[in-house]
Amino acid sequence: MADDASSSSGITGNTVENSINQDELIMKQQREIEKEISETIPLVGEIEELQTLEKEYNEDPIYLLKVKDLSSKYKSIRRTRPDGNCFFRAFSYAYLERLLTDKQEYDKFYEIAKNSKDILVALGFSQFTVEDFYETFMEVIQRVGEHAGSTPDLIETVRMELHDKFNKQGYSDYIVVYLRLITSGQLQTDQEFYQNFIEGPRTVTEFCRQEVEPMYKESDHIHIIALSNALKVCVRVKYMDRGEGSQVIAHDFPEGSTPLVHLLYRPGHYDILYA
Amino acid sequence: MANIAAKRIKREFKEIMKSEEVIGGSIKLGLVNENWTELKGEIAGPVDTPYEGGTFLLEIKVPETYPFNPPKIRFLTKIWHPNVSSVTGAICLDILKDQWAAALTLRTVLLSLQALLSAGEPNDPQDAVVAKQFRENPRLFTMTARHWTNVYAGGPNIVHECNSKVQRMLDMGIDEHQARVALSSYDWDLERATEQLFG
Repeated sequence: MADDASSSSGITGNTVENSINQDELIMKQQREIEKEISETIPLVGEIEELQTLEKEYNEDPIYLLKVKDLSSKYKSIRRTRPDGNCFFRAFSYAYLERLLTDKQEYDKFYEIAKNSKDILVALGFSQFTVEDFYETFMEVIQRVGEHAGSTPDLIETVRMELHDKFNKQGYSDYIVVYLRLITSGQLQTDQEFYQNFIEGPRTVTEFCRQEVEPMYKESDHIHIIALSNALKVCVRVKYMDRGEGSQVIAHDFPEGSTPLVHLLYRPGHYDILYA
Repeated sequence: MANIAAKRIKREFKEIMKSEEVIGGSIKLGLVNENWTELKGEIAGPVDTPYEGGTFLLEIKVPETYPFNPPKIRFLTKIWHPNVSSVTGAICLDILKDQWAAALTLRTVLLSLQALLSAGEPNDPQDAVVAKQFRENPRLFTMTARHWTNVYAGGPNIVHECNSKVQRMLDMGIDEHQARVALSSYDWDLERATEQLFG
């Protein structure tokens, strides 16, 4: 009825209803694309030879040179689903896999992980939701710890379980959510520092609400810096793009430490690299 | 329904029942079906707003991908508010769209909706007619919102001016809600509202 009232009078009621429908159509289309991706690409794939990248860029001389450079340092790659969560998923998979063979690092990380919930709750995150994600996160970590640095057989068993969990939405996305919360917590704890990285008039808290906490939002330098600082884990990201030269440039977060996680960045997406 | 979504909603349901807002009666949540895919929410109109004393019902649909995607929510109670469609009850609120995060809950959403009733955001409207009135004629906006609250949400504040104008149109044989919408949309100008309906 208000439709009638506004359309015949020339008041713009309908325009807004239409643009909202437009929004909904775009969101619907986006969900369909997401659905197609989710049906064809696993959350975390099997390990592959780096040569598979060469095939991908068969007719692309710039990228071929860069893949060559990359293969002088890395042997294999593990792909992740390009759903906007890939940095968090790739990071946590690669790091937990690494912890399986490094008991000392595991013990250090366990303490940080264990204390993370209290930090978030103190920052004002709701106990109820944080707890939900925290419990799943700790369950996965503890299982890694049971055999960290143990015999190759046991490590392999847990590695396979880990791979399985990372491909189950219930575990995998819960881990992503929790890492997003940790990242947000770190940004808000050290607001003054991170404010410098945020473009435009947004506050750190607004940035976290809009770009960090929601699922599927892509990660930028600031996310990586915050998460690596929060968990005290050094990440090396190899940036492969159309830029000049045949070298793939590496960035370490934070600089000057030994990276335990190696990721390949191609515009808009992160995968895991293995030496 | 996906197991994660149902499990999470069940937990939320238990949690919200213990919350001070539910105990204090300012929000309510009820089940519509047994598989937890649809719920019914209720928020009390905030004090010192035209919605005070009203009770607003909400339709809440939980998608299979919850909590990674937001619940779908609309007002079932008719409401005059710049960020809610006066026709469909559709809501324009960032956390129900691209700013939804899995750490949010139905409780936080209901509280955000209540906050939205206290502070409309006319620059990001859902209903342009209402938003225009909100910006350009706040006195009439408040009167209209209070009148709708009285008529549709059980609010106690009767707005006699509105009632008598609606009655005049009823006397002309116009449907009551249609009359109210026309009058509300034309700043309670009886002549223009009538003209629009008969024109």
